[in-house]
Amino acid sequence: MTQEVLILSSFLIPLLGAIVCVFFQSSRYSGKIAAGSCLLTFVFLSISLFPFLSDFKNVILLPLGLRCEKLQALFLLLTSLVVTLALMQSDIYFEKELKQENTNQKHIAWFYFFSLLFLLSMMFVFVCDNLGALWISIEATSLLSAGLVYFSRSKHAVEATWKYLIICSVGIAFALLGTIFIFSSSQYGAIEGGSLYASQLKAVSENLQPLLLKLGFIFCLVGYGTKAGVFPLHSWLPDAHSEAPAPASAMLSASLLNCALYAIYRILDLTTNSACGKSCHEVCLWAGVITVIAAALFLVKQHGLKRLWAYSSIENVGLMMVAIGFGSAPIFFLQALNHSIVKVSLFCTAGNIIQLFGTKEISHINGLLRRSPLDAVLLLAGAMAVTGTPPFGTFISEWMLLSLSFERRYILVAVLIFIALTIAFVAVSYHVGRTLVGGKIELLSDTVSIKNSVIPSLLILASVALCFLIRPDILGVLK
Amino acid sequence: MISFSPFMFSFLQAIILASAIMAILMVGTGQIRSNIMFYSLQTLCLALSACFCAAIEHELKHYIVALAIFFVKTIGLSTFLFWITKRIGAAKDLGLYLPLPIAMHLSVVLLVFAQILSNQLPHLNHLQPLAIGGTAGISLILTGILFMLTRRLAISQVLGFLTMENGIFLFALTQSSGMPLFIEMGIFLDVFVAVMISGLIIFKIKHSFEHIDVTLLTSLRD
Repeated sequence: MTQEVLILSSFLIPLLGAIVCVFFQSSRYSGKIAAGSCLLTFVFLSISLFPFLSDFKNVILLPLGLRCEKLQALFLLLTSLVVTLALMQSDIYFEKELKQENTNQKHIAWFYFFSLLFLLSMMFVFVCDNLGALWISIEATSLLSAGLVYFSRSKHAVEATWKYLIICSVGIAFALLGTIFIFSSSQYGAIEGGSLYASQLKAVSENLQPLLLKLGFIFCLVGYGTKAGVFPLHSWLPDAHSEAPAPASAMLSASLLNCALYAIYRILDLTTNSACGKSCHEVCLWAGVITVIAAALFLVKQHGLKRLWAYSSIENVGLMMVAIGFGSAPIFFLQALNHSIVKVSLFCTAGNIIQLFGTKEISHINGLLRRSPLDAVLLLAGAMAVTGTPPFGTFISEWMLLSLSFERRYILVAVLIFIALTIAFVAVSYHVGRTLVGGKIELLSDTVSIKNSVIPSLLILASVALCFLIRPDILGVLK
Repeated sequence: MISFSPFMFSFLQAIILASAIMAILMVGTGQIRSNIMFYSLQTLCLALSACFCAAIEHELKHYIVALAIFFVKTIGLSTFLFWITKRIGAAKDLGLYLPLPIAMHLSVVLLVFAQILSNQLPHLNHLQPLAIGGTAGISLILTGILFMLTRRLAISQVLGFLTMENGIFLFALTQSSGMPLFIEMGIFLDVFVAVMISGLIIFKIKHSFEHIDVTLLTSLRD
């Protein structure tokens, strides 16, 4: 009983925090309030969900038809952790922006307001059992994060917000159509009057009308795929990620994409036992492979530091799609975990570097190693981690993914992914390498504060730790 | 279970088709005000068909949905869009790629295509007389996409999106027995907020770029 109460109260905290932030919008403490309420959410979720993860019980039933299984619990924890870290970093980030007079206190308070509600909507994504409610939550994440992308109010930001809003809304509209198809597929004798509850649909998945189910899956893949940045529906993603302030990019990349991918996983899971199951899995698998290859090729020709990480996110989305296509929840979560941790670190470091040099263009960022050695090391380590080099956690999950594709006899998939990963590695190393050295020796008028790099460094260490801690048997939790 | 005269059924089918025809007419004109007017009429047809469905299926929830459509979309969103158009001073959308009459004829072709598509789908027995709703729904979705593709102005993009959304609603109403009420209301809320936010962004686009032609928003690229 206390578990349910704790989980439900963790949903109330961001809401209250958001209200407080807006009420005291001219105060200097809005950042602390926001980060504090996220941290509290994370603590509440940890207290209630960690015992559940090692429990025999498979599901926590919450009121209003919400439910939480082990995978959902892990994603809830990951999402709240990511947002907490991003908001802690943003307090430091905005301090400097205020000093440079790029923004004002009121805009920052609204930023926190939107971030907290954004966290709330993402948390709802993971506990919704009802596919309609899932759709509503995902659409809410787009609407609320539009406020984050719009933050700087510059011409570029307006353009990025517009594209983000319109492309995602239209994409998501397809997912609604897909949801209706799935609803309709359950009305042909499977469930009297039909159902939208994923757990009920899963139980009767053999009796769902196969054609409608398949159409439903395809439309949901297109819809939620747009949100996840699956190629060729990714065009909003680099724009939004590069125009949002660095902590917001971290949230978008490390938590929002997971939400969309989770939605795809949820829908694909329904088809597993049905007649169209195999073909749906194949579609998802190949969509992932194509995304990985396309993103790797796009990575070669990038000019902006944050756009580089945005394309690297697309690449990782592709890898997760492959994991989803194999129907492997553990590898999907593991890749999401590793990617999220490294991406928060990378976007925060990128934010520091951009503030230091006053530009996002890679060609204008030179001699980082001399100017700020700590950021240089973090950038290099993050770049290595995100491309799946040992000793970072991403290496393990990518290794597991490749060995799974060999195990399932999808040799071509493994080979293509391997080639794409190699291209991505070379491209990222090249771009990052260019920023580290070269440039004129300038007077160090602007010193970098060590506190800007605390969270990125901790996350890099966490990624190293994950590489050594994760054993295949830990994944048994999810089976 | 259905005690309804055949005349009423044909009337209902006519209303459902009328909504698709309103969308086709919307593609045919470049005046933003007439576009919004056609959108408004299109949602009025939807509200009426939801009312009829409520009477046929004896479902209270469809009445509530019909009322919500009428107040939120037919009156609320249309007024809001009119207001934006007036404030921004956008009168006419000159179109992109295709001359407007050709685009309109293309959307008639899309209606036929929608009929073919909808015939491929299975239908529930008790909803058989409403099969035309599948055609109209798919046609609205396709017309909405066509509208978005062939227009330049930001406000037209919003109208196209709303048309698509109407198509999805009509499809849900006639092909399944309608989504549960709270989901339907959640969708309304999301769409409503989405339009409000896009309205604000349109103001900002006008403010920063001094036009609302989205084909000219090309400063962000690789």
